[in-house]
Amino acid sequence: MNRFFVAETAVIDAPVERVWDVISRTDRYAEWVAGAIEVTDHHGLATVGRTYAERNRTLGPLKTDSIWTVQEIEPLKRRVDTGTGFAPLQDLTNTFEFRPVQSADGREATEMLYQVEYTIGLGPLGLLLDAIQQPAMRAGMRTSMANLNTLLRSEASRTAH
Amino acid sequence: MSSTQNQDTVTSHQARRADVVVIGAGLAGLTAARELVAAGRSVTVLEARARVGGRLLNHRLGDGQVTEIGGQFVGPTQDHILALAKEVGVATYRAAVPGENVYVRNGRARRFSGHLLPDPLALPEMGIALARIGQAAAKVDPAAPWRAPNARELDGMTYETWLRKAGITGAAVDLVNVFLNSAYGGEARDASALFSLWYVSTFGDETHPGTMERGTGTTGGAQDSRFVGGSQLVAQRLAEELDGRVQLNAPVRRVSQDSTGVTVVSDAGDWRAGRVIVAVPPLVASRIVWDPLLPAQQDQLFQRLPFGTLMKCVAVYDRPFWRAEGLSGMGLLRGGSPIREMFDNTPPDGGPGVLMGFLGGREWRKWAHRSAAERRGAVLRCFAQVVGERAFDTVDYVEQDWTAEQWTQGGPTAVAAPGVLTDFGQWMGRPHHRVHWAGAEFSPYWNGYMDGAVRSGQHTATELLHQI
Repeated sequence: MNRFFVAETAVIDAPVERVWDVISRTDRYAEWVAGAIEVTDHHGLATVGRTYAERNRTLGPLKTDSIWTVQEIEPLKRRVDTGTGFAPLQDLTNTFEFRPVQSADGREATEMLYQVEYTIGLGPLGLLLDAIQQPAMRAGMRTSMANLNTLLRSEASRTAH
Repeated sequence: MSSTQNQDTVTSHQARRADVVVIGAGLAGLTAARELVAAGRSVTVLEARARVGGRLLNHRLGDGQVTEIGGQFVGPTQDHILALAKEVGVATYRAAVPGENVYVRNGRARRFSGHLLPDPLALPEMGIALARIGQAAAKVDPAAPWRAPNARELDGMTYETWLRKAGITGAAVDLVNVFLNSAYGGEARDASALFSLWYVSTFGDETHPGTMERGTGTTGGAQDSRFVGGSQLVAQRLAEELDGRVQLNAPVRRVSQDSTGVTVVSDAGDWRAGRVIVAVPPLVASRIVWDPLLPAQQDQLFQRLPFGTLMKCVAVYDRPFWRAEGLSGMGLLRGGSPIREMFDNTPPDGGPGVLMGFLGGREWRKWAHRSAAERRGAVLRCFAQVVGERAFDTVDYVEQDWTAEQWTQGGPTAVAAPGVLTDFGQWMGRPHHRVHWAGAEFSPYWNGYMDGAVRSGQHTATELLHQI
């Protein structure tokens, strides 16, 4: 069984509290997670042991239904979920980690680590499959964090109520 | 009936009197009142709100500038509203802004000019869809859609079912829905096929058959022009002309008829009239207490003509920055975007900059209950896809949710589900003894539009004058 780790980092131009508020909302993933077309079931604020479900894009026009379980919450720092529904990817673990940083102009910002861990069976064929899918997965993770940055900016607009 | 007669006897002693009471100071009611006054009748207009205009509503931007957060566009063949506006001294200007439009699909934005979308896969299907809709709509009589060939069959299915049966699938259905999102505050799946084809047939006049192209078009179409000073100014000028005959803050609760006249009970007092014109949305009319009751078929019809779900979202900027970048501010957005259609709503002298987007139908249902900050963020992200990230730098942001308006109950117009037109449609404008009906939803042309409202107001006033 081949086990893979894919990690991307980005700096989100918002304080960690605001980032945490958004990523903790299981109903909001379709607003920033690339490939999440729709959240089909959710439990609101993420709670350990509870699940949420998504409709996701996979490769090209292919779509899948996924179910995620919240495994760990360390407020403002770390969140770990496990997911099913992405065959041939199995034992999927999604981790977000956050660290407060300062932007170049001195504003509060957040460094975000987005990591996905998974296995693919099928021996050498699994390695080949991963070589095909991993670049798209990495691009999706980078896009997600860029989307999160844009979402937070849009909600911090000058006329925010 | 005896208790009612007693009540009418009491109220009639205290009631103020007029030849005609008009209920509702939207365009239809005000137009009808104007015609009746011109014919020498005494008229009182009772308006529930503290303002006139109904679905026409200006938002003040400061320095005397306004932008509309209700109905705003007019175009060719809408001669009745255009003539009326001219008579009351409200000028028009071309709505289109020079520059390229933007088409967004699955998050990818592409600029385009003219009417041809930069989507080679969708274009052929959209061409077929327009042709088939045009052919089918041409067979529907705008004045009596229930007499159309296959009316019952068409009224037995949703518009989406009809489109798919006609071989029109994904992209074109989605593009039709982009239009219906603002036109219905809904989607093709919400409306009957007969209703939708009839709706298209009303996009014209007695000499120009309705076409989808005219209804959806900007320059040369229904979105061709706007009013200097905002569309509500037309209603305000009409109310000024009526010179004290409009009573605001007067929601009508009860309408009682007897052999000699009609008693109208409102929060501002009672009126006694020979005739009444009801010019409020059909569903709102069904919620008045009627004595005697409305004919059951008419009451059922009015209950089955709810308005759609629509919110106008307006972002204000210090200036229309997108124009300097060669953009018109007009955008069409597909693929689950909250805003699916947006326009540059900047006042005619060029500032401040205003972008307006429609949050309608399924997207309204998804976003209306969300927090204001989250919804505003989602709207601004749509605007940013069309004009860039400066869309986030607003100086003001306004939403007008028409479903939250007690005296409108949705927007922009009534949409009939399957079965309504063929089973109940003939009851639409049928007078109820001394009570007559007017409103944009009662017009055979530009149904649901300002022109339909003016036409209906004029028609009903004429009908009434022939009977008294």
